[in-house]
Parts: sequence; C-alpha cells; structure tokens
Amino acid sequence: MEPAGEQEGERFSHTQRLKAAVHYTVGCLCQEVAEDKGIQFSKQTIAAISEITFRQCENFAKDLEMFARHGKRTVINSEDVKLLARRSNSLLRYITQKSEELALNNLEQKEKKKKKSSTAKGRTTSAEQVAAAMTESEDSNVV
Amino acid sequence: MASRGESPSGFRKETVNKILRLHFKDDKTRVSSDALLLMTEMLKVFVREAAARGARQAQAEDLDRVDIEHVEKMLPQLLLDF
Repeated sequence: MEPAGEQEGERFSHTQRLKAAVHYTVGCLCQEVAEDKGIQFSKQTIAAISEITFRQCENFAKDLEMFARHGKRTVINSEDVKLLARRSNSLLRYITQKSEELALNNLEQKEKKKKKSSTAKGRTTSAEQVAAAMTESEDSNVV
Repeated sequence: MASRGESPSGFRKETVNKILRLHFKDDKTRVSSDALLLMTEMLKVFVREAAARGARQAQAEDLDRVDIEHVEKMLPQLLLDF
C-alpha cells in the first residue's frame, strides 16, 4: 500500500508541475494580449484560462491518438494535427500554413547538410571520406 | 532550449509532449517532432484567442479589466471553435 500511495503522489506532483508550466505560459501570453489591447487580466482569469487550456489538452490528446490509430499508426503526425484544427476555417488555414513552412524548413536543412558533407570532403581523413561516400550512396539509393 | 519564432512566449515542446502523453491510453503512442511544434502553435492560438475574446467581452461592458465572468461568457463559443 505504501509504494502505491507514493506512486500516486508522484503522478500528482508531475501533473501539478505541468499545470504550473501551463499557468506560467498563459500568464506570459495574456500579458502580451493585455499590452496589445490596453486591458488588464485578473489573476483568476489567468488561472481559469490555464485550467481550461490544460483540460482542453485532454481532448486534443485523445483525438490525436484516435486519428493516428485510424491511420493505423502509433506516431502522431502533422496531418493528425490538421484534422484537429478542422472546426475553424481560419485556424485550419493557419495550421496548414505553419505545417508547410515546417516542411519547407526541413527540406532546406536536409539540403544544407548535403552541401556541407560535399564541401568538407576535400580535406577530410579517409575514415570521414568513407562515411561521406556511404551517406552519398545511401542518398542515391533513396533517389 | 532556445526560444524560437517571432513571439517571445509560447509553450515548450517538451511540456506539450508531457501533457499529451498524460492522456494517451496507449503507451506506445508518440508524437512526431513536426506535429509537436504544430501543437505548441495550436495551444498558443487557443490561449491568445481565449484572452482576446475575454478582453472583447470586458470592453463591450466598458471595463478595463477582464474578470472571471467575462471568461464564463465567451467559454462556450471558444470550446465550439476548437
């Protein structure tokens, strides 16, 4: 009974810590909105928005898990998040745009890596050359 | 971890990951890095939207302080939109 109680206490404090993190971020975001609109937020308001956000995360998590399972996956990807944003057109547009930016960024980073490995080849040791050649051959296999 | 993006504040990926995992029924479920970044963005929009709607409600009542009753009034529509 003792360890079970301890475990429960640990989970409780883990949740409390996450709630505290959410509360802190909500406070920062509300401060930004407050400066934008020239208005104040009461402490209770910030606490309420934090609690709402934390509970909304439960819905988000359950939906995302279901979406991924529906796609026969165990990893949640950006398509699942887009599906989560389906209820509001402008939100969906925003998330889709962000997702495209991310995809573009990833592509650029991949290309940069490729360039780096090819420019560095001139003055590398033999071991590194072998490694570079291997990644190159891997790349050509993919293409 | 360095803060990223144009806005100074926002949720940390690690925090969002932990919160989501708290509610997954299957322990094997994971979140890809891109999806996690989109979720931090989504939560930021959610909070800013809640704050902005509360502010609008307070301003409609000619007050310069958002209180809990303003949150109560905008909450149903907020939850329908997300």
